[in-house]
Amino acid sequence: MTLRSRAASLLREPLVHFMIAGALVFALLSGRAPDAGERRIVVNAEVVSRLLNRFTESFHRQPTPQEMDGLISDYVHEQVYYREALRLGLDKDDEIVVRRMRNKMIAIATNDAEAATPSDADLQKLLDKDPGRYAREPKVTFAQLYLGADSPAARAAARDALVALRQGGDATRYAQAAPINPRYEAADADSIGATFGDAFALALRKLPRGGWTGPVTSGLGLHLVRVDAVIAARPPTVDEARQQLANDWHEANVRKAEEEAYRKIVEGYDVVIEQPK
Amino acid sequence: MRRKAIIAALLLGSAFSLSGCDKIKQAVSGKSEIKVVETEFPERVFWGDTHLHTANSVDAFGFGNRLGPEEALRFARGEEVTSSTGQKAKLARPLDFLVIADHAEGLGATKALYDAPRLLITDPTLRRWYDLMHQGPKGSLQATGEMLQARSQNKLPAGLNDPAKALERTRKIWNDHLDTVDRYNEPGKFTAFFGFEYTLMQGGNNLHRNVIFRDNKDRVAKIMPLDPTNELWPDKLWDYMDGYEKSTGGKVLAIPHNANLSNGLMFMMTDPSGGPMTAAQARRRAAHEPVVEITQIKGDSEAHPFLSPNDEFAGYGTAGWDLNNLLNSQPTKPGDLAGSYVREALKRGLILEQTIGVNPYKFGVIGSTDSHNSLSTADDNNFWGKHPGVEPSPTRSTDGFVPGINSGRMNWQSLASGYAAVWARANTRTAIFDAIQRREVYGTTGPRMTVRFFGGWDFKGDDLRGDWVHAGYRRGVPMGSDLSGHKGAGAPSFIVSALKDPVGANLDRVQIVKGWVDKGGKSHEKVFDVVWSDMAKRKPAGGKVPAVGDTVDLTRATYANSIGAPSLASVWTDPEFDPAMRAFYYVRVLEIPTPNWVSYDAVKYHLTLTPDIPRKQQERAYTSAIWYTPS
Repeated sequence: MTLRSRAASLLREPLVHFMIAGALVFALLSGRAPDAGERRIVVNAEVVSRLLNRFTESFHRQPTPQEMDGLISDYVHEQVYYREALRLGLDKDDEIVVRRMRNKMIAIATNDAEAATPSDADLQKLLDKDPGRYAREPKVTFAQLYLGADSPAARAAARDALVALRQGGDATRYAQAAPINPRYEAADADSIGATFGDAFALALRKLPRGGWTGPVTSGLGLHLVRVDAVIAARPPTVDEARQQLANDWHEANVRKAEEEAYRKIVEGYDVVIEQPK
Repeated sequence: MRRKAIIAALLLGSAFSLSGCDKIKQAVSGKSEIKVVETEFPERVFWGDTHLHTANSVDAFGFGNRLGPEEALRFARGEEVTSSTGQKAKLARPLDFLVIADHAEGLGATKALYDAPRLLITDPTLRRWYDLMHQGPKGSLQATGEMLQARSQNKLPAGLNDPAKALERTRKIWNDHLDTVDRYNEPGKFTAFFGFEYTLMQGGNNLHRNVIFRDNKDRVAKIMPLDPTNELWPDKLWDYMDGYEKSTGGKVLAIPHNANLSNGLMFMMTDPSGGPMTAAQARRRAAHEPVVEITQIKGDSEAHPFLSPNDEFAGYGTAGWDLNNLLNSQPTKPGDLAGSYVREALKRGLILEQTIGVNPYKFGVIGSTDSHNSLSTADDNNFWGKHPGVEPSPTRSTDGFVPGINSGRMNWQSLASGYAAVWARANTRTAIFDAIQRREVYGTTGPRMTVRFFGGWDFKGDDLRGDWVHAGYRRGVPMGSDLSGHKGAGAPSFIVSALKDPVGANLDRVQIVKGWVDKGGKSHEKVFDVVWSDMAKRKPAGGKVPAVGDTVDLTRATYANSIGAPSLASVWTDPEFDPAMRAFYYVRVLEIPTPNWVSYDAVKYHLTLTPDIPRKQQERAYTSAIWYTPS
């Protein structure tokens, strides 16, 4: 759990959020300590509906009347303790309060970014920045005949098998049994790499089309290969890569928001790090 | 003035949160509706981890894990992430699927304690743990070790798991979790499952289960992870699973793990009270738990030398893990072992079926990591350890399993293991779940070996020529199935074909492990070497195939594929078949010797290690069995 997502979960404590954010603004704008608020705790319709919503969101049902009473009573307890604690100045120099405030600030700074929805133009921009990352992998349709580990005997078998195949004959007697398919239909580089190794996936794309060739080396040994079709890599449309783009955009956006907010705030401060003498 | 404007802007921004959030969810869930075509039969194997913990797990956070589900998912998909110890981590090869299985018990509780105001922590134990955690990583490990200790003695302070607070916390974490998992689930490319761990224990004896859902968020959001506190047996879990399926129309299964740390309780011959197991009990277990996790970081549960004295390859990853139960609170007696290992459980299943008519232990097998640092790693040359306290460092190979705590184990006893291999018809939640359900799965200790295994009545050597996979499905059954339709005096024949990891070590041999039960109700086992490399030179002597050799260079942590074979295949007919006896057959594939993770560390950090620390291993794959039942 990163600081960011912890901050985000804190922010979903709406009540606390409301109180602290309010106090925070007040403090920052007026330049004095948060006020403990008036010594009158009102449970009005707004408070009740907030408690109700929070409960419903958590439990996917309405609270029973008894539960609602419990929520209200708990709210009052919380307010009493909270305001009294503020009145006593218990928030001052408390490491936890300091850390939670910091998290709140981060949460406030990043909440917009956390919830933001990228437009298609945003995603297109991200896509254009690094088309390689989102490129639809090239797909290859090919047949292969596996000859086993690279050895002089396997190379000899490869020569004979190649002759047979080029004459349109049957070469299965040269094949080593293995749990791989004789033919792959529009397979992407990842799945070819998972079975044969990445170098083989790469080599396939450079082979001539339509005829048997080889031997080609893979992580498994030697193969004869016939590449029937290669669907070239191409930059995807935003729609095709939407999920990955949105996840990346979201991650980068939140990080940027956090860094920017810090930069803007720290501009207003003199930070002095004294060197030990 | 400028500062005021910033604050105002920040606050304004937050007001838009809700509407924006909904849009994101819609956009993403809309995407996951894409139709993925399933192939006629499984054409490729999908690799994954069904058992990963993030910072939401009560112990993982204590161990120092600060990476949540999002980082875990990004890492599994092949993205680089920064580990909790500040190191850059990346998988050389992405996984095809992932189950984040955080502990339901105390979900988020350690984090809540860490974040709590110290003033309000009145319980002296909780306050001590709070202070330790705030001291830094060492203190945090200490606190977590003490928590685990307390858990094993049922002495956890009540405040840590206050039911009402826990419920609300769990709700929040679970709902957030579902959203995150959904954003990374990409049918056809990467499957992110919903799941959790049901951490059932009896005084430190491990009865843990991972629970995995087949369904999408619409169904899974209707329930919450189930807390096992105060339970002794899995019955409540099975009730919960039944309830989920009934109320939502969805599907869910459970995968027991670390039988090796259960002190014989995982695979008992009796019912919980010690009385005979009933057919109904056996049926209930089999229905909910189609597979078992056979290997992981905390040791391997396939076989134990005490139980299988004639199997010279039994005892991989058992040393150290077989002395005590999970929490080191109770020593393991020799009599406990039979209920703690998978091969013995498969045999017990046959005996029970012969007696009560139902086999409770007719399960398949997978491997997984059980990593607690959000990083699913099972490769010895890129192993990130069980938890942040043992992420790569010069001391981790000589540290305790939980540094600073007497966990009863040394960290070098950790295995860089394992992964789940699934023969599914597509990379989707439904297709992978269904393959696990029908047990068409196997486990490896990390290497991505491809293994096919079919049983039938008329397979011949010639079947390996040409399209034998089709033949396997058409005329036989794949791993995990029942072999039926026996006629006359014929013996079952099996097609087995294994292929090395394309970036890994060659194979030493392929074995078929047979278990059976005789008319007197006694079980037996035998390991058959079926096909091995250099068969012409490696002639069996005294019933054993000679060792493959050893090319490991410890000074550089390398090995050479100059021995072994990249691919081994054979058609094998049981020479000792008796149609009157129940039997199972599963495949074990052994690699040639390779350096273990400790050896890679030793080279990387220039370590001098004592000779008692093992430095080499023969990694392996275990398939689900094929069962024969007399008609």
